[in-house]
Amino acid sequence: MAFIGNEEQTRELQDRFKYATLVLILGALILASRLAYLQILSGEQMRQYAEENRIKKVKIPAPRGMLLDRYRRPIVDNRPAFDVIATPQYLKESGRADEVLSRVASLLKVPVSDLKKKLSRAKGQASFLPVSLKENLTRDEVAELETWKLELPGISVEMAIQRTNLHGDVASHVLGYIGQVSPQELSKLNRGQTRKYNLDDVVGKSGLEKEFESDLRGVDGSELVEVDALGRSIQKRETSGRVLVQNREVPSIPGKNLILSIDQDLQDAAVRGFGDKTGGLIAIDPRNGEVLAMISRPSFDPTEFSRGIDSDIWRKLISDENKPLRDKAIQDHYMPGSTFKVITAIAGLEEGVIDENTTFNCTGSINLGNRVVHCHKKAGHGPVNVVKALTKSCDVFFYRLAQKLKSVNDIAKWAFHMGFGARTGIELAREATGLVPTEEWKQKRFGAPWSPGETLYVAIGQSFMLATTIQLANAYAALVNGGTLYRPHLLRAIESADGQILKEFPPQVLEKTSLQKKTIELVTQGLWGVVNDPGGTAHSQAIKGMEFAGKTGTVQVIQIRAEKIFAKCITLPYRNRHHGVFVGYAPIKNPSIAIAVVAEHACSGSMGAAPIAREVIKTYLQKYYPDLYSDSAIAERIRADQRTKNKSFEAPTPREVEE
Amino acid sequence: MTYTTIDHRPEEPFRPDSPGYEENFSWIKWVPLFLEVVLLAIGVFNLLSATAVEDKSMGLWKNQLVSIGLGVLATAVILIPHYSTFSRLAYTIYAGNIGLLLMVLAFGKTTLGAKRWISFGGLSLQPSELMKVSIVIFLAKYFERINVPGGFRLKDLMLPTLFVLIPVAMILVQPDLGTAMIICLVYGSMLLFQKINPRTLLILATVAGFAAPIVYTTGLKPYQRQRLISFIDPMSDPKGSGYNSIQSMIAVGSGQLTGKGYRKGTQSHLNFLPEHHTDFIFSVFSEEWGFAGCIGLLVLYVFFLSSGLSVAQQSNDKFAMLLSFGILSIFFWHLFINMGMVMGMLPIVGVPLPFMSYGGSAILTAMSGVAILLNIANKKYMF
Repeated sequence: MAFIGNEEQTRELQDRFKYATLVLILGALILASRLAYLQILSGEQMRQYAEENRIKKVKIPAPRGMLLDRYRRPIVDNRPAFDVIATPQYLKESGRADEVLSRVASLLKVPVSDLKKKLSRAKGQASFLPVSLKENLTRDEVAELETWKLELPGISVEMAIQRTNLHGDVASHVLGYIGQVSPQELSKLNRGQTRKYNLDDVVGKSGLEKEFESDLRGVDGSELVEVDALGRSIQKRETSGRVLVQNREVPSIPGKNLILSIDQDLQDAAVRGFGDKTGGLIAIDPRNGEVLAMISRPSFDPTEFSRGIDSDIWRKLISDENKPLRDKAIQDHYMPGSTFKVITAIAGLEEGVIDENTTFNCTGSINLGNRVVHCHKKAGHGPVNVVKALTKSCDVFFYRLAQKLKSVNDIAKWAFHMGFGARTGIELAREATGLVPTEEWKQKRFGAPWSPGETLYVAIGQSFMLATTIQLANAYAALVNGGTLYRPHLLRAIESADGQILKEFPPQVLEKTSLQKKTIELVTQGLWGVVNDPGGTAHSQAIKGMEFAGKTGTVQVIQIRAEKIFAKCITLPYRNRHHGVFVGYAPIKNPSIAIAVVAEHACSGSMGAAPIAREVIKTYLQKYYPDLYSDSAIAERIRADQRTKNKSFEAPTPREVEE
Repeated sequence: MTYTTIDHRPEEPFRPDSPGYEENFSWIKWVPLFLEVVLLAIGVFNLLSATAVEDKSMGLWKNQLVSIGLGVLATAVILIPHYSTFSRLAYTIYAGNIGLLLMVLAFGKTTLGAKRWISFGGLSLQPSELMKVSIVIFLAKYFERINVPGGFRLKDLMLPTLFVLIPVAMILVQPDLGTAMIICLVYGSMLLFQKINPRTLLILATVAGFAAPIVYTTGLKPYQRQRLISFIDPMSDPKGSGYNSIQSMIAVGSGQLTGKGYRKGTQSHLNFLPEHHTDFIFSVFSEEWGFAGCIGLLVLYVFFLSSGLSVAQQSNDKFAMLLSFGILSIFFWHLFINMGMVMGMLPIVGVPLPFMSYGGSAILTAMSGVAILLNIANKKYMF
């Protein structure tokens, strides 16, 4: 029977089951011993690995302190910015990366090739790390992307905190910008620092952001969060209500706020006044040295720097011949031109070589040895005293005055007293010193003795004499406050994030000069005439119903041959045009604002720089002194206007409206 | 020809003619079913934990229950005919499964870069999974009528190897290295079980030794090669291809003696583990139940396999014996490779853990396999 053979074979095979059982037991033993090795022998270590996997210490970045104006209105703040990011891994897993990318491109209205370029640039990094496709999305773009979220796998909108200058490029040089700590500066920053920096931290790189870094920077907190293998934090609701770890959180401590002495209204007025002109402006309160306004044009937007600047924008900033990155209020020095005549007049009056009755006859030029030195007015000003000479900016008067002085050192002495030739000590770095020439200086510098003719040029603020805009403003401030030279400062106070004043900055006196009352009276009288006398050089800038004073200056940029001196500036190539300078103050009685403006290549002080100062002064007077208006109707209108406009802000502190 | 052709069909129901048989077989015949139910229950329970996190819309465990329901249906269907029906249909089943594999190649569904599924309406099927059982039926049928005293020689193996290599090649193209490997291992187990001529075995071993490096350089896809490299040195790329292996070992090890507790496994719940509901399901279990739980589970599997071996050993014809042995070797290799892979002893290949891993085709295959075992164990008493 065929069955027998089958049975024989099955019996034969039955014998082999003992081997099968052996293999089974062997296999089970191998698995069991591996289990024992992993769970018993290395269990503890593995448990530790698992814990480290699960709980990640995540930094809670501390909000950086704000920069506030004198009425605590934010100037620099931290604002949310929205970026669209792609996670290459998820894009790839979705299997329709191309489709998704072209969808995103059409939503953002950018070429799809741009997005692909950004993705391919990130090829080197792990594919689960996000790649930013576009930063600073508009509200509409965010809305669009969120709407189509479900159809865009691997694409998400992320919020980032962006250091934002609320007024764009206004006062960027003062406020400064922040940036990520670079590997080069890391060790320098952390030297002696208890709160260490990491590479992804931000740090102030210029301006007040840099100078007050330790105040603005908060203390980062930390949080233990559960993360998955991709390092993504797990939302509590996704673990179906179970919280595996109690979130242990060390809260961050926000940075301190800086309350500046800046009045943003004046800043805006200054920008308005400048238009597209190039130059610097600084306004100081003569009574205490507080900086009320300070701008430099052209400028840059620090917001663009805060999250890494685009290389194209950077290159443009660097190559711009108007040097937008330089602070023209403190970092550049210029010949002060006729604005320096104030110092020469002070020197003459204080050294006793002239008095109010001293008159010189201006014929349009004087002879100096075999050379003829011209006044800016060809026909001459006729007989002028010191007041008239300042009002009309008569060069000849000051030439004659210079000739009467013992040496250039008499001018230099008073220039130093008024703060020239030295840094003012404002809180910002890289301030220029300017230059006050003396006989010793020339000997040392050029190895040649001072020639008396050179004093004439110094007397009208030309040749070697160099001053920064801030020095001019501060010198005039010292003149009009009775002779006290304050250190200009930008900070009124530092407050904690919850508004507690932590530190105040009282005025600092640099020097109490021995200026006589009479001198101040005569000089300021001349400065009043500049604006308010029909013959004054800046009479065209007078404000109807409201008086202010100042001095114009026009500075030649290049040596011009005699016959060209009176040629129209506007016909010159832009780079050869004169700089316009104006230094002024207001009100006439008890001045509370001194202002200096340098307008590069603006041709003249009266038409180039004075209108800018006028705009700021006008804004200032309207805001703080409506009662001083001679026309009561105007005053009333301004008061009404102020009431509606300033409702949300506190009124000016008594310190400013009193006196 | 030295082998003889024999009639494999039993003429009548089994007569208990061997002494001691009755006591043995009467209790053991339902043991595989009992253990299957226990293991499936543990599997679903474990899956509830494993999928707790990503399970937002609809529970994967419900899908698993549906699969088990289908498995019960398949079990019932398989239990109706006498197992000799499979012998009769063996070649048809084989051909039909090859047809399904062809369909996968022609219009299969691509998921995660592999083309393994075909859909019928709403149901997706993985024909490569079913091929594991089909090939065992085929081989049982094929070898039933072949008897080579002294073991198989090379020429005896030519034809069956060809029939095995056809589906293996088709599955490798998908690519599904794990399944292809399982089929080869099952084939090898069945050959060894029936005895291979020692000289032939030596030749085969030598050839395999030489072929391995060639296959490694030319036959493997880059990612497969990477898996092998990272198996040898997982730390070579801890966030990349070695990542799964490391995270899985951490999961198993961190379970320690008693485990972290049900639903308290962090490795799986926090997504450190990839595929933790399918191929890496054992890591979820071991993380939460620890060494004690794992040994318990392992013992259950060993009981299941040994009860299956008893069924096989005491079956009354060669086809039934080879068929049940083949099916048991499928289970054994799945168990060994899957657990070995999860514990970092073996390279990562897509092999599910029977009864535990999520996946309809795998469940259906496993339950069908048990059903065939039950059929073999019980057929004499039914009808």
